[in-house]
Amino acid sequence: MKGLILSGGRGTRLRPITHTGPKQLVPVANKPVLQYVIEDLRDAGITDIGIVLGNLGREAIQEYFGNGSDFGVEITYIVQGNPLGLAHAAGCAREFIGDDSFVMYLGDNMLKQGIDELVRGFKDNGHTASIALQQVEKPEQFGVPELNDDGEIVRLIEKPNEPPSDLALIGVYIFSPLIFDVIERLEPSWRGELEITDAIQMLIDDEHSIDSHVVEGWWKDTGKPEDILEANRLVLEDQSSQANGIVETGAETSGRIELHETATIENGATVRGPVSIGPGVTIKSGTYVGPYTSIGAETEIAGTHIENSVVVGESKITASETIVDSLIGRGAMIQDTDGLLPKGRRLIIGENSNVRL
Amino acid sequence: MRIITHTCPACGTIVAANELEHRRVLKCPNISCNEVLRFEDLSDEEREFFIHHKENYQI
Repeated sequence: MKGLILSGGRGTRLRPITHTGPKQLVPVANKPVLQYVIEDLRDAGITDIGIVLGNLGREAIQEYFGNGSDFGVEITYIVQGNPLGLAHAAGCAREFIGDDSFVMYLGDNMLKQGIDELVRGFKDNGHTASIALQQVEKPEQFGVPELNDDGEIVRLIEKPNEPPSDLALIGVYIFSPLIFDVIERLEPSWRGELEITDAIQMLIDDEHSIDSHVVEGWWKDTGKPEDILEANRLVLEDQSSQANGIVETGAETSGRIELHETATIENGATVRGPVSIGPGVTIKSGTYVGPYTSIGAETEIAGTHIENSVVVGESKITASETIVDSLIGRGAMIQDTDGLLPKGRRLIIGENSNVRL
Repeated sequence: MRIITHTCPACGTIVAANELEHRRVLKCPNISCNEVLRFEDLSDEEREFFIHHKENYQI
């Protein structure tokens, strides 16, 4: 079995962070979302992986993951170019997939419990496809399946007014190579894309059996800033303590702290876990880093109270302010205005930024 | 919908026809590969098909 990760998309809901990089590389607990996906595939025994790249951030993804050897997998890159839909992305991978079955995993999705059970179930039961589902609060906002008594999907309804269940399709599918024949028969939808839900419905109409698998544990689509913060919270909730860095005498620490060996918590700083502190980070005296915060590499924080936030990295945060529920992009500087006249906030903010003062 | 791709002979990176047609001549998108790819690398039949259905491959 092979893996296919879809890593296109414009990431518009994560702007301005995605003006300078793909959404799949936004870090959660100091690790790109896409790395969690690769590790899920690898942990399920799938090491031959294709990554479908769109128009944005393709170099950054290749620079980070290379040929995959550092992550225990072998990566083939597939350039889709225009975002013509999930089924088009899959279709671009036909030659890579060959005669194998494959897991198709959206590159901005995260699952607490991985995909091992889903993969094992598919290998055992001989269906044409298997679709991961999860119970959601608002199924009317998702693709919703209608299931028979055997748990097979007999119909798919996109954003139904009256959902037949509270189960929704999440971003993980397993297909046999028969899916490619169906994709070839698809026509673009009203929005000009080849829809994977149309392809699955066509398989159903052709009387192929489509299994379903309800995923236990949390699932996050990390498409929006609040989703990144929530995913960060969920990952840190489960993390163990690995304080390998320097904690100076006089620093106050409690809870689970992942502290990179090159990071420092200085005398007079307070850190309360769960937190993740990346390489080269310095938490200086007078700083408070509170629960559910991830501080990315080469960041310095001095005199700031920060909690439930993600700092991507290479930032300098020295304002004597309280920062909560924030996603701070790479290289951002947040400083005091002490001594500056006239008094007032001083902002240099990129397009599509979102600031609450 | 027919999906046409071309595989870089040097590194195995797969490139969709819409990307090849858009740029006509490009360095292989794999950052570790210096191969030059061309729309003309597709067969005559593939190129003709793509151009006749070009509107399907635009968004």
